[in-house]
Amino acid sequence: MSKTTRRDLLRLGGAAYLGTLFSGPFALKALAQAPAASPQMQHDYAGWEQLYRDKWSWDTKTRGAHLINCTGACPHWVYTKNGIVVREEASKDMPSLAGVPEYNPRGCNKGACGTDYLYGPHRVKYPLIRTGARGEGKWRRASWDEALGIIADKMLDTIRDHAVDCISVYTPVPAVAPVSFSAGHRFAHLIGAHTHTFFDWYGDHPTGQTQTCGVQGDTAETADWFNAKLILLWGSSPAVTRIPDAHFINEAALNGSRVVSIAPDYNATTIKADTWIHPKPGTDTALALGMAHVLMRDKLVDVANVKEQTDLPYLIRTDTKKFLREADVVQGGSAAKFYVWDTKTKKPVLAKGCWGEEPPGGRPAVQPAYLGRNTLTFPDGTIALGDLDPALEGSFKVTLKDGKSVDVKPAYALYAERIMRDYTPKKVSEITGVAEKAIVDLAKSYGTVKPAMIISGGGTNHWYWSDIEIRAFHLLSSLTGNEGKNGGGVNHYIGQWKPVAVPGVLALSFPQGAARHRFTQTTIWTYVHADAYDAMETVGIDTRKYLRASLDQKMMPIYPREGRDPKVFIVYRGNFLNQAKGQKYVLQNLWPKLDLIVNLNLRMDSMALYSDIVLPAAHWYEKLDLQMTEEHTFVHMTEPAIPPMHESKHDWDVFTLLAKKMQDRAVARGMSRVFDEQFNVSRDFSTLYAQQTDNGKLESAAQAAQFILDNAPATKGITLDMIRERPQRFKANWTSPIKDGVPYTPFQFYTDSKKPWPTLTGRQQFYIDHDWFIEMGVELPVYKAPVDADAFPLRFNTPHSRHAIHSTFKDNVLMLRLQRGGPVLEMPPGEAKTRGLRDNDWAEVWNDHGRMICRVKIHNREPEGRVTMCHTPELYMDLIEGSTQSVCPIRINPTSLVGNYGHLLFRPNYYGPGGTQRDARVQVRRYTGLIPS
Amino acid sequence: MAKQITKPQKQLSFVVDLNKCIGCQTCTVACKKLWTNQRGEDPIYWRNVETRPGKGYPRNWENEGGGFNAAGEVQRGRMPTAGDYGVPFEFDYEARLFEGVPGRVRPRPAATTAGFASWAPNFDEDQGEGTYPNNYYFYLPRHCNHCSKPACLEACPNDAIYKRAADGIVLVDQTKCKAARNCVQACPYDKTYFNTAIQKASKCIGCYPRIEKGVATACVAQCVGRAMHVGFMEDTASSVHKLAKVWKVALPLYAARGTEPNMFYIPPVLGPTMEDAQGNLRTDKKIPIEYLVKLFGNDVPRVMKVLEEERGKRLMSEPSELMDIMIGRRSADMMLNPLT
Repeated sequence: MSKTTRRDLLRLGGAAYLGTLFSGPFALKALAQAPAASPQMQHDYAGWEQLYRDKWSWDTKTRGAHLINCTGACPHWVYTKNGIVVREEASKDMPSLAGVPEYNPRGCNKGACGTDYLYGPHRVKYPLIRTGARGEGKWRRASWDEALGIIADKMLDTIRDHAVDCISVYTPVPAVAPVSFSAGHRFAHLIGAHTHTFFDWYGDHPTGQTQTCGVQGDTAETADWFNAKLILLWGSSPAVTRIPDAHFINEAALNGSRVVSIAPDYNATTIKADTWIHPKPGTDTALALGMAHVLMRDKLVDVANVKEQTDLPYLIRTDTKKFLREADVVQGGSAAKFYVWDTKTKKPVLAKGCWGEEPPGGRPAVQPAYLGRNTLTFPDGTIALGDLDPALEGSFKVTLKDGKSVDVKPAYALYAERIMRDYTPKKVSEITGVAEKAIVDLAKSYGTVKPAMIISGGGTNHWYWSDIEIRAFHLLSSLTGNEGKNGGGVNHYIGQWKPVAVPGVLALSFPQGAARHRFTQTTIWTYVHADAYDAMETVGIDTRKYLRASLDQKMMPIYPREGRDPKVFIVYRGNFLNQAKGQKYVLQNLWPKLDLIVNLNLRMDSMALYSDIVLPAAHWYEKLDLQMTEEHTFVHMTEPAIPPMHESKHDWDVFTLLAKKMQDRAVARGMSRVFDEQFNVSRDFSTLYAQQTDNGKLESAAQAAQFILDNAPATKGITLDMIRERPQRFKANWTSPIKDGVPYTPFQFYTDSKKPWPTLTGRQQFYIDHDWFIEMGVELPVYKAPVDADAFPLRFNTPHSRHAIHSTFKDNVLMLRLQRGGPVLEMPPGEAKTRGLRDNDWAEVWNDHGRMICRVKIHNREPEGRVTMCHTPELYMDLIEGSTQSVCPIRINPTSLVGNYGHLLFRPNYYGPGGTQRDARVQVRRYTGLIPS
Repeated sequence: MAKQITKPQKQLSFVVDLNKCIGCQTCTVACKKLWTNQRGEDPIYWRNVETRPGKGYPRNWENEGGGFNAAGEVQRGRMPTAGDYGVPFEFDYEARLFEGVPGRVRPRPAATTAGFASWAPNFDEDQGEGTYPNNYYFYLPRHCNHCSKPACLEACPNDAIYKRAADGIVLVDQTKCKAARNCVQACPYDKTYFNTAIQKASKCIGCYPRIEKGVATACVAQCVGRAMHVGFMEDTASSVHKLAKVWKVALPLYAARGTEPNMFYIPPVLGPTMEDAQGNLRTDKKIPIEYLVKLFGNDVPRVMKVLEEERGKRLMSEPSELMDIMIGRRSADMMLNPLT
């Protein structure tokens, strides 16, 4: 950013312009002096024009990527001249898929100014040690040796005085920088520290999809949007949150697809949709079930698909609300095999491929971390029905093993009864505020146009009951046979969770195996260690009761164990504090428990500011790493355009140095071997460096990157040189094959190859008969109103921003100049008027959890009853007090605490409680206090 | 006497498809990072994207005059003030983050509820007009039109402005500019700027260094909405030619200002309809046709009809050449070589 001097500003604002405020024809005197001949012929093209030719020139061009929590994964070129990185540009060399528009150019407003963080004022240049209070911004410069020595000694003190599990290492999102991600995980793994989940904590985990499909989450790559003939954008605005992919929506529309946007606000994507449906915030499930009502009523249901692919034909005991299990009927029967009613033989028949059924050859040794179970070794066609014709309706009697008779009904019959009763268009219209005709028209359109795709986003995924919303979306998709179809299905785009080459990342991160690693679930970790208040007792839900049971029964993990407090917190590649819901409690209660907070960062963000030691990390253009995403099916890379500036280092190098320092200090202090009771192993700290680098085989980031590629089916055979040449397409993927030239869409292993779904029932599972689901009344996906535990009048909406990726770029000067210079609370005109607020006024926003003072932007695209602020401005930005997370509590839904129930089990980022901030309610009033100059 | 302008051998031309512009500002940033990042250039955005209806950048540019009158005389428009451009916010991050200065990092100048500082490019982003749920807005990307009859060129008393014979790009010769600023006043689009720090006028250079190498302009090459076409109008195979001359669906902005722009817009035909008080959808579009006519002229209704008919064909799964051109499955079909 060039500097405008004060004098320039004065000139700009002052006299230079004042004399020219009149209008009318020019005095022709000046013009008359000009020659009438063609003036353009007089200019020497080789003369002054060279000025700009020189500007568009460079010495080197290198591969660049932006290693932030963004799904874009946009390949860029980075241009360097005289040792200075001058700019970047989308590389535009993504290979094309057949028949669909190409991915090029792929980038956005933020990616186009990535250099700003390289040279900008936020850059951390040297190791810094805090000299003031946490958050004050007072530091002294230290050497790497000193800083790492303090960190190593504090970790050894912690192991001596407390336990190794009191050391916590937080780094999120492997997909965007798997080498950097693995660096800290590998270090934590080797010393026994715990690491964190993030996908769930960030509220991005599609919990309902895991419940329904037994997968951590899977979506179509975005090029597949073009194949949809009907697109339902449901709480998703790609033009803002998926900028590199938004074009596929508009291109699909031009290609004859119908686009419906379902969102309370008239957002930047909705403006190009054919139809805008704006339900009241948080009532989307009711709308979905109203559509299901019409599909059932008008016989628009794909019955064959429902019978084969879903658990809806499975028999439910009317006495217990539980599945009829083999163990109920047969002595020694399995508790994980289930029945359907065969209409031909009029008998209950065991469904194939249930959890309790072993594939031929026994349980496979390899268990993908992102699936409930590995069903890929079942033969193709396992779940095909053949001669079986399961009943969807009716009521039947079954004799149990003790001779008693019990009434059973197919889950479909139970569900249809409720849908037909509770979700008539009239009732749904009352709940959602959407006109009856609009509901019916939408349902009919969804039931007849094929393929039809649901694209969901943060608007539907950040609620307390968001799991039900996605269950209901899958219901619609299954009822219409859209699952597994190119251009169909349910695709959630929120969070950057998909390091497609996941086995390679795991192998690099956890050399002794993931079973020997301490994973903590971050939502629980924060809730417990920050002693966060959630106000849920006001709506009759005792979160702590369920949480205690979940932890006691080892359904969900927490570290440190045995009630110990975390003591050392090492954070990198994540702005933990800034993003933390319940931020007030985190600062008040968790922060004081931490003896040492270390942050490795390229910029002084809020997390760094509130740390004790800040280490300088290399910028994305100074390091080598890979990048992957769910949005497309190509792996690409970044590499050093220049060496790391100042004293910054690649994350990979920092953790090898830390391993070396820890080794040296441990040996010097006589702590060479540390016994780890939980895993019954003796950890050898005297060889830590050799372990971290695998005896020198993983010394460099390039070696680590190639190791990841070599150790995953998706990337085996791909080399760094190949990626340097051009982004390379994956060779395999999670739940569908990669087909040459065809956009990836998930679940074809189940829908097409007809292997069992990786769920308890071996089908898409809509009925969950776990006690807690039954207790909460959600054994079936039914509408649950937003949780109004905050007795305040306005819904507080915190979507993603066009001008930032979470907190990254929030403080970028160029981005702020294209906004209002700081964060704003978007407020509908009526709500502003009743509070006497004018555009650009300061306002106070508060509830029982905290307070924020911010500016107001009056926005007529917002519905009354709601205010919106793009989430998580940095804690040093232009607010007078607080930030969005000051008023957003941590709320844990008991159903997400369930474990040990078939496919509902804890694995990091696979299943666990998430972020639910959209239920938050606030009050707003004019701020009348002092406005600091 | 008006200056004579030799018709260029080829005219670099742009088509912006407003059905595809998503308002992401990637073009704005791409341009700024490549060209206007030197001393005095902070308030200058050769390329910008504004929300319409809205005040635009610089503020109220469309009501400030300029261009040619009916008699063909170039008009002196009002010179935008520094506040109309938006005085660029400055932030003292070092003090807060590294030197322990308390408080928050405030933008300077701080916006006030009154006064010239309460404005910035894109200040009214996404606001538009109308009352929820019948409000409406869309995005309008703008840069120099490289007009066939440039008012800036006509108004320059120093002959610093010329139109290149090879490609029709209009440039301000930085060695000849003598700071008269007539160009800023004459351009009806306010797309010539005056850099007060170096006392020179500047404007979009059509990325001529890239064009000379056959490479698409920075804004188009990085348009992630894939909303822009760039090419030479004389090239009958180019998408700009097909859209503007064959299909005639791309229209100049404020053509009545008389400068003969070479940037053309496909009006927004996608978008929802109005709804009645009961929430039932009506059939009329949210963006009033009168507003589009105001921007793009009397041809708008005809163009909208063509666009609706052609999209209608695709809705019925029939082929449409026009929709295929607008979709532009391969970037190379929409522009000169996008690769650098």
